[in-house]
Amino acid sequence: MAAATVRSIGANLAKNLREVRLHLCQTSAASQGARDFVEHHYVTLKKANPDFPILIRECSGVQPKLWGRYDFGKEQSVALSNLNVDQVATALQTLNNAKP
Amino acid sequence: MPKIKDYQTSKHPWSFNLFVELRQSRCSGPEGQIATSIMLRLPVSRALAGVARCKTCLAATNNVRSAATAASNLVEVFVDGKPVMVEPGTTVLQACEKMGVQIPRFCYHERLSVAGNCRMCLVEIERAPKPVAACAMPVMKGWNILTNSEKTRKAREGVMEFLLANHPLDCPICDQGGECDLQDQSMMFGTDRSRFMEGKRAVEDKNIGPLIKTIMTRCIQCTRCIRFASEVAGVEDLGTTGRGNAMQVGTYVEKMFMSELSGNVIDICPVGALTSKPYAFTSRPWETRKTESIDVLDAVGSNIVVSTRGGEVMRVLPRLNEEVNEEWISDKTRFAYDGLKRQRLTQPLVKSDSGQLMPTSWEDALTRVAGVLQAVQGNDVAAIAGGMVDAEALVALKDLLNHLNSESLCTEEVFPMAGAGSDLRSNYLLNSRISGIEEADLLLLIGTNPRYEAPIFNARVRKSWLHNELKVAVVGRELDLSYSYEHLGESTQVLQEIAAGTHPFCEVLAQAKRPVVVVGSACLQRADGAALHSTVAHIAQNARTSSGVQENWKVLNVLHRVASQVAALDLGYKPGVEAIRKNPPKVLFLLGADAGCITRQDLPKNSFIIYQGHHGDVGATMADVILPGAAYTEKCATYVNTEGRAQQTRVAVTAPGTAREDWKIIRAVAELAGVTLPYDTVDEVRDRLAEMSPNLVRYDDVEEANYFKQSNELSQAVNQELLADPLVPPQLTVRDFYMTDPISRASQTMAKCVKAVTEGAHAVDEPSVC
Repeated sequence: MAAATVRSIGANLAKNLREVRLHLCQTSAASQGARDFVEHHYVTLKKANPDFPILIRECSGVQPKLWGRYDFGKEQSVALSNLNVDQVATALQTLNNAKP
Repeated sequence: MPKIKDYQTSKHPWSFNLFVELRQSRCSGPEGQIATSIMLRLPVSRALAGVARCKTCLAATNNVRSAATAASNLVEVFVDGKPVMVEPGTTVLQACEKMGVQIPRFCYHERLSVAGNCRMCLVEIERAPKPVAACAMPVMKGWNILTNSEKTRKAREGVMEFLLANHPLDCPICDQGGECDLQDQSMMFGTDRSRFMEGKRAVEDKNIGPLIKTIMTRCIQCTRCIRFASEVAGVEDLGTTGRGNAMQVGTYVEKMFMSELSGNVIDICPVGALTSKPYAFTSRPWETRKTESIDVLDAVGSNIVVSTRGGEVMRVLPRLNEEVNEEWISDKTRFAYDGLKRQRLTQPLVKSDSGQLMPTSWEDALTRVAGVLQAVQGNDVAAIAGGMVDAEALVALKDLLNHLNSESLCTEEVFPMAGAGSDLRSNYLLNSRISGIEEADLLLLIGTNPRYEAPIFNARVRKSWLHNELKVAVVGRELDLSYSYEHLGESTQVLQEIAAGTHPFCEVLAQAKRPVVVVGSACLQRADGAALHSTVAHIAQNARTSSGVQENWKVLNVLHRVASQVAALDLGYKPGVEAIRKNPPKVLFLLGADAGCITRQDLPKNSFIIYQGHHGDVGATMADVILPGAAYTEKCATYVNTEGRAQQTRVAVTAPGTAREDWKIIRAVAELAGVTLPYDTVDEVRDRLAEMSPNLVRYDDVEEANYFKQSNELSQAVNQELLADPLVPPQLTVRDFYMTDPISRASQTMAKCVKAVTEGAHAVDEPSVC
């Protein structure tokens, strides 16, 4: 399902978003979904959006979080604690569709 | 008296077959060869057997002791009667250290080989015939080390008396005064009167360059400097000539002590024989205030102590950090501080109609900048961050420009963004870490000269090469590194062959158990940087597969040259100014950008340039408005080193004139421009840093970066075409090392170093005052 969500995002990341930042822990269970997302879907996403910054920032013990930055420096974030890979993909889609 | 053979075969419970022979010989000096050989033959069993009855308490614990050692393979010894378990082969001095007893010493240094020639560490071993040199003598089971016995104290007193016999009594004018081992230890362990009426020996001073002042009469021949030079720095410049009373330490023929780590001999010299030339007669250690800080003149992030007095930096000393710089710092780190007092921007400047930069008030400068920024939006405004900018200023500038809807935030240093680029931190970090080099068995250096780009990293490589038999290979220009290496060639062809597995070196690489591949950030500046990075990543991936090393061992490493780069990439700056060249902005904000990547010619005619920084260097000369910022000794700021380790500088002195901390200036500009940034204090800026990238506020820690596989997958798609140009790092000789950034370019000491290495030490000879 996550793959389908990523496919539906396609090359449209840059439409509203200017930058995506994904914070995750290298080992914690809460970040498992975020890690799975990076492992399985990051490459597809990046290939579709080669110039779009998807900053993956690993930090031990951090609460997994997805940040989206839009025009004029507006930012939104979604906490990803204990979400699975599909929910992470959905969170990204929500950010992608948002237009603050 | 029985023969030696008898001791070895005797079955007396107290005999340990002790026949200790410690022989140490070293040859030093270009032609004068001094071989000191210490032979300590201690038939301890005899000594112990003879007096076994005198200490009943020790005899009583005998059985317990042997049971304990059999179980754990440790040796039990006693320090002043207190038992301690140590590894076999531990020296007496280390055993005492373990018990918290400091043995006085001059020649012994824990990071250097043992010389055992100063004799200050003599201690009595119970029932041994004579005192032993604690630094060189391995402990034996059951020894009772007496660190404060009458015999020990007498031995120290005697050694001290001999040392002082030929040591000048010039402590009041000696720069080492107050931090001198000889001074301290003569107070602690010396006698209270002198028996010497004879004249003292005098030794001619040597000119070994513009950094180190020698007063060789003060030398006590501990040979620490010689051992440092040959073991850590890897230059065989220093040695001894003559023997006995005529023994001298020096270079034999007058020449410069040519090492990028030379300043460290000042710290390890236990007396005032080697002192700092620029610091001479300027201050006393008890007058200065010490601030623990971080060096930013290279990307290693050496830990330093900034000594200040009266709002002026007096000197920079290393601070211990085993993970980063151990206790060494490079000469640039140590001596470039005089550059902080010259060429400084002390007040805001505005270009007048006649084209001259005129001093103005902050109010005027800030309103002008804000006015200009209000009129632009989107990619009409751009920013370039230089090599010494802290993370707080970087995040403030990024927020400001993002609020103006601009994405043109660049760094001067280029890093290839094709493929995963700066998305994955593992792509641009020195993932193996500096201390990880000590675990590696094969190091492949690509297009870098670590000796001058990161001298402390290079010292680690040398240490590992010396002690762990690390094999080193280099692709790139043939260099004078401080260790031997296999030179594979300088063309990019070699890289392609290694990546394809056709190069003979691949067999070596395949056999490595813990390989490390380090690519210099300098070669990633090239037009084919992306292809280079991808090829290197490919080589690293192959090496990791063939080595079968565990998942947590990182092979791919990038060695950066400037202190700000990792933080800038963490924050999402776009490396390289190509975007600005392609899309020239109307307003350009230079944040400490002094590499001259962009000139007026690259911009439209009426474009407006704002420069914010601490030195009047390349960037300031082309600016319309100059905002004076603070240098690294003047702000509490975050820097991330090439490993990805966030560290903090501290305020040692206040910024000169009306200069201010960088993030505060940007905060003020933003407010006036109508885009107030959501932070007022440095703590709030750091909360924002954590929102951008949480690792930036994990001070002194390195956060692991992973996902090499994803990076490799993406790099497959990158254009793999490599240019035919050879891989030549920009810093080839020691001459290129000293002046690389605005601070060191402003430093007179660094200029003298350049002159001395090109024309010889005599060219900068100054008449000595003392």
